[in-house]
Amino acid sequence: MVCPLNGPRPVLEFAYGGEVRTMPDPASCSDAQWSDYVFNRSGSPAAKFEWWCHIASGFWFVALRDTLNDKVIATYPAQAARERLEPPESLP
Amino acid sequence: MFTAHESLRPSYDVVIIGAGGHGLAAAYYLARDHGVRNIAVIEKGYLGGGNTGRNTTIIRSNYLTPEGVKFYDESVRLWQDLSEDFDLNLFYSTRGHFTLAHTDAAMRTMRWRAEVNKHFGVKSEAVDAAFVKRALPMIDMQCGGHAPILGALFHEPGAIARHDAVAWGYGRGADRRGVEIHQRTEVTGIRVQSGRVVGVDTTRGAISTPRVLCAVAGFTPRVLDMVGLHTPIYVHPLQAMVSEPVKPWLDPVIVSGSLHVYVSQTARGELVMGASLDPYELHSTRSTLDFAEGLSAHMLDMFPFLSEVKVNRQWAGLADMTPDFAPIMGVTPVEGFFLDAGWGTWGFKATPVCGKTMSYTVATGRNHPLIEGFSIDRFARYQMTGEKGAASVGH
Amino acid sequence: MHRLQELPGEWIDRSVALKFHFEGREYSGFAGDTISSALAATGLPYLGRSFKYHRPRSIFSFADHDSNLMFQVDGVPNVRGDVTPLREGMQVTAINTFGGLYNDKARILDRFSAFLPVGFYYKAFHSKRLFPRWERMFRRLTGLGTVTLSSPRALTPKRYGFCDVLVIGAGPSGICAAHEAVQAGARVVLVDEGLRAGGSLTAVDGEERRSMSALLQALVRSPRCDVRTATVASGYYADHWVALTDAQRMTKMRAKAVVFATGVIEQPAVFRNNDLPGVMMASGARRLVARYRVAPGRKIILLTGNVEGYEAAVELHAHGVPVAAIVDLRADSGDELAVQACTKLGVQIVKAHVPVQAIRGFDARVQALDIAPLQASGGVNRDATRRLDCDAVLMSVGWAAATQLLTQAGATTAFSPLLQQFLPDELPAGIFAAGRLNGVFDFNSRCADGRRAGGAAAAYCGYGESRLAPVARSTRVPSHPFAIVDHDSAKNFVDFDEDLQVKDLQHAVQEGFDSSELMKRYSTVGMGPSQGKHSAMNALRVLSRERGMSIGQLGLTTARPLYHPVPLKILAGRSFSVERRTPVDAQHAALGAVWMPAGNWRRPEYYAVGGATRLQSIAAEVSTVRHRVGLIDVGTLGKIEIYGPQAGEFLDRVYAGSFSTMRIGMTRYGLMLDEAGVIIDDGVVARLSSEMYYFTTTTGGSATVFRELLRLNALWGLDCQLVNVTGHRAAFNFAGPACRAILQTLTDIDLSEAAFPFLANRVGQIGGVESRFLRVGFVGELGYEIHVPAGGAVAVWNALYAAGVAHGLRVFGVEAQRLLRLEKGHLIVGQDTDGLTDPFEANAQWAVNMGKPFFVGQRSLRILQRRGPRQMLVGLEFADSARMAKESHLLIEQGDIAGRITSIARSAVLNKVIALALVTPQRAAASSDVQVRIEGGEMLTARIVPTPFYDPKNQRQRVEGA
Repeated sequence: MVCPLNGPRPVLEFAYGGEVRTMPDPASCSDAQWSDYVFNRSGSPAAKFEWWCHIASGFWFVALRDTLNDKVIATYPAQAARERLEPPESLP
Repeated sequence: MFTAHESLRPSYDVVIIGAGGHGLAAAYYLARDHGVRNIAVIEKGYLGGGNTGRNTTIIRSNYLTPEGVKFYDESVRLWQDLSEDFDLNLFYSTRGHFTLAHTDAAMRTMRWRAEVNKHFGVKSEAVDAAFVKRALPMIDMQCGGHAPILGALFHEPGAIARHDAVAWGYGRGADRRGVEIHQRTEVTGIRVQSGRVVGVDTTRGAISTPRVLCAVAGFTPRVLDMVGLHTPIYVHPLQAMVSEPVKPWLDPVIVSGSLHVYVSQTARGELVMGASLDPYELHSTRSTLDFAEGLSAHMLDMFPFLSEVKVNRQWAGLADMTPDFAPIMGVTPVEGFFLDAGWGTWGFKATPVCGKTMSYTVATGRNHPLIEGFSIDRFARYQMTGEKGAASVGH
Repeated sequence: MHRLQELPGEWIDRSVALKFHFEGREYSGFAGDTISSALAATGLPYLGRSFKYHRPRSIFSFADHDSNLMFQVDGVPNVRGDVTPLREGMQVTAINTFGGLYNDKARILDRFSAFLPVGFYYKAFHSKRLFPRWERMFRRLTGLGTVTLSSPRALTPKRYGFCDVLVIGAGPSGICAAHEAVQAGARVVLVDEGLRAGGSLTAVDGEERRSMSALLQALVRSPRCDVRTATVASGYYADHWVALTDAQRMTKMRAKAVVFATGVIEQPAVFRNNDLPGVMMASGARRLVARYRVAPGRKIILLTGNVEGYEAAVELHAHGVPVAAIVDLRADSGDELAVQACTKLGVQIVKAHVPVQAIRGFDARVQALDIAPLQASGGVNRDATRRLDCDAVLMSVGWAAATQLLTQAGATTAFSPLLQQFLPDELPAGIFAAGRLNGVFDFNSRCADGRRAGGAAAAYCGYGESRLAPVARSTRVPSHPFAIVDHDSAKNFVDFDEDLQVKDLQHAVQEGFDSSELMKRYSTVGMGPSQGKHSAMNALRVLSRERGMSIGQLGLTTARPLYHPVPLKILAGRSFSVERRTPVDAQHAALGAVWMPAGNWRRPEYYAVGGATRLQSIAAEVSTVRHRVGLIDVGTLGKIEIYGPQAGEFLDRVYAGSFSTMRIGMTRYGLMLDEAGVIIDDGVVARLSSEMYYFTTTTGGSATVFRELLRLNALWGLDCQLVNVTGHRAAFNFAGPACRAILQTLTDIDLSEAAFPFLANRVGQIGGVESRFLRVGFVGELGYEIHVPAGGAVAVWNALYAAGVAHGLRVFGVEAQRLLRLEKGHLIVGQDTDGLTDPFEANAQWAVNMGKPFFVGQRSLRILQRRGPRQMLVGLEFADSARMAKESHLLIEQGDIAGRITSIARSAVLNKVIALALVTPQRAAASSDVQVRIEGGEMLTARIVPTPFYDPKNQRQRVEGA
């Protein structure tokens, strides 16, 4: 895993924070939309944007990881989580 | 023992996806108890090759919630008669099951489980450290000084069984009743028309069917994508390892939540050991070194005399996890599509009762009363079951 | 078997004799012997018993690949004789015998073996009534060695290693690969499981030996190469992370590239009685003769299906062990030069014959081999069977590629019908294969292939360029396609770990277990300690024949770690566990603390003083807090500082209450929820300045809560920063009616009610140590939480203690604090709440401000408000104080569970038993009576009452003066 702050480090030094997901507007969304956001997950394997934390430095960032084979495709600073992320055109 | 079928028929009354214990048990009971014989069980790998053959074979019913206790207790009852039902020895072996408590918070949970269990007539008792020491004189009560044992939940009916044989028994029983089991056949799509299941596409051709049961632990999200259902299920690997055979010295099943260990000794003399789930989503059954290191260290905390005993093999399975540590079962918003999923790390022990209840549900189109607490819509209704406390360690 | 004359280059030191015991009798070997070689030299007819049928067994692979030569050594079970060096005084016994190796009562099982086919156990003994009895018998018979329950925990070190190129296997290709990579400039680690490097080379002299020795010497001298023998690459894990294990430790090696030169494993021929002592692998015999100077016999038959058989005969002859006859399974070998060489040595050569059975002599060892000619049709003419007398049968019929580690690394393999071997197919980045594993068999090609792979691996790491062309794979057939001979009386073993015969596998296929995976699981082939190293290929050949499918179509089962079994002690290492101690840990100990774990911390549960019991001590501590003054260390709480213009906004979002509008110098309780609206943590939040807050979390949640807050801060990008000061600060709660007066003598700040009211905070000093004072009331008395830098903690603790003692101060522990807070009805997250409890159910809506624009869990709370509670946290009072319920005892109503006690204690100040309970909403109304079931099923009556139980108007926390 290549941490944007600390460079390549063994995966054991990192904690997983779940998939990066977009929260619906709590003021306008329906109960069904909200519970879908809170509980449901996209469970199939895919290249997913995920939260990862380098534990020792407390540094959170976003990693694009293929959950089928555990390959980390790219990592991004945390602000990427606020932007609309699209996987690169061609995945390695 | 199993009939090989040249090809798929054009249509079946029921298609079951997944020839693991759950899928085959449902097929068996559909054929035996509900008179449904025109069934295909579709398996992309080989019979029993998923979590049925990858678990640590523990059977117990010492759950925390009334729903859980009643459900698993029925399962344990069914288990005890399976060998005779099948005319196949499953090596169902009642050993007693200790869940060790190393903190006073854990002791509270053990007592909670014991009280709920006893309420429903399940033999469980919160026992103190002296009881544990008498039953397991070889254990290091201090656990290497890391996590002294304060007591345990002792569950007398806790058992182990030969896991593969369960799939074989159900498979053979279903086969004899006319159920077709198609191995190395992968489902590639499920056809839904106006909210109803009408057919299944496979690598060996299309089938039309009004009813599909999905029993594919570890692969559930991929099948759900085919019918457009959203659920909380996410997949994490669960690893395990086994030692070389040694002469039996450990009779009961031992679980420690604090040390993340569960261990039993098989009929072959091997120690089968497991720990907690891998900490992130992954759809691969690779093994990791840190798992073997951590589990070995904790094993030696409890049983220091095993220092020289060798670990033979590591493996892993894929577990469907849910937010409340309870399964998702029964009818779904897609008519004719039935789900038996979300089994986390404890699906093996539920195999018979899942077969029973899902066969009823598929046959009648109504959820069996025992699985009402596990319905797919409970999350949207904020009506989750509180089983999390009972699953402090995965198994 | 017997020891031969000294040979230059042998691995034993005849000047050092080592005495040892085997099965209670004393024997002698030499320094350098392994247990197996020393035992072989004793001439004992056999050395072990098989797992299932207890058949006599002796040296078979001499490569650590068969599990019949595992021993109980000095109390340690399953010690591998092939690779364990002999030590003076060793006590060695066979394993899994009943009455000793030569008088094993269980040997009778061999007679019944015809009635015990594979799968038999599934079909019998399964009467529900009788199975427990059968099971007891099975459990006596099962298992191998015996665990010594009194043996101590062995602590082994671990180390981390890093290199450019890791080369696994120090045979010719591995040595050449390492040498090439070193020449290119890479840092190389070369490992081999053998006690010395050299791999399959056993000839003591010759061109091959000399060239390898020279390269090896160069590697040993090179500062860039580390050569490790007796070191097993036990498992390959992601990102070139390889567990290297030796007798002492595990090295976790991180490589940039890995060359697999793991070679091939010799496979047995399968014929009746192929397990008799005296029947063994030719490669094992070569090692035994050249290195340990033990002859496998005096009249040797060599069974072959490849040129290596002839080479073995020539080499054995050169080492003083003549081979009487070679039986070649092939009609036309194409190995004419090798055949001539053997003929010249006087070896009788019989072509186109197969072994029908080995004949067992009176000493249980092989005494003859029956062979029969092959017919042109491919069949065997059993009528023409003839008997060759012998005392040893060596087998050289083929090899299985050691692909286990390679496939763990993600490589695919494909079966080559030409070579009759699985070959590497697609290799992931940074993974290379060389040598016989790669299908390259003659010596010069193996060296060239090694150089090619080593150069490519170095280039992959950035050293030089990969310039060497691929080496052509072997064109001869090193493995016989089907060295398996059926026999009506069976005992033709495929798996020697599990005593599996050809018919067992056929039987499995007939039962429908007709894929590699199912056959393995049903028959247990390959599941023993050697993990199929000598059985998987032959089992696959049987399956292939039975199914009429090619080996390539069927495929091998997945090879998982570990390559060879590894002791738990090596995997475990030293087994560290974290234990945190607060800065005043020594002070607690001096005051008689009785410890309990709290998360990673150790905390005083109570202080044992003057011989008082636990309950007496806790009661005294409680009483002192209520009536005088008490001091508790609460430094295990998570402690966080947050700075910045949007710090208040951040706290508004993560807590259910409001903090941006809280005045500077004030403190407020905070309740933290998850997105589903469930309570996950609580603490107090103090505003120290307009842009700086200081807040606490629960002890158990501190690390995860802080990490999640960092994530939310990264997500939201608010203008604020969080600092975890849990370890930087100590915290004490100084509470009780007398605390203010005492504290005022120690600090400069004005503690009067007017100047420093309830729920305010102030920063001041105690004895020159900067201290944050939070006036909060968890225990329900006038009190101050005092947070100080860790460096000043001891001084402040001592000052508080010294000043308080004159006023009757006692230190108090976690148990007293629990009771004190229970009297006040304060919940403990995780004890009085469960994984689904929301603030409405916990009666904590006072800590929730639904009017805020957003906080985590708020939207779910709106849904939960409509759903209504599923349980309610209520107070209980028990009328009867003689009998007491325990935490987790159930409330029962009309036979149904109506709730559960979450906290309970006998309150001295209230003189009754009080409790908190989560109950069904229907039962939550105050003043109603409920039934609680305690031990033995007895029912106690309790009444639901409002909380707090003690001082309901909170007057004691706001007390003036004093």
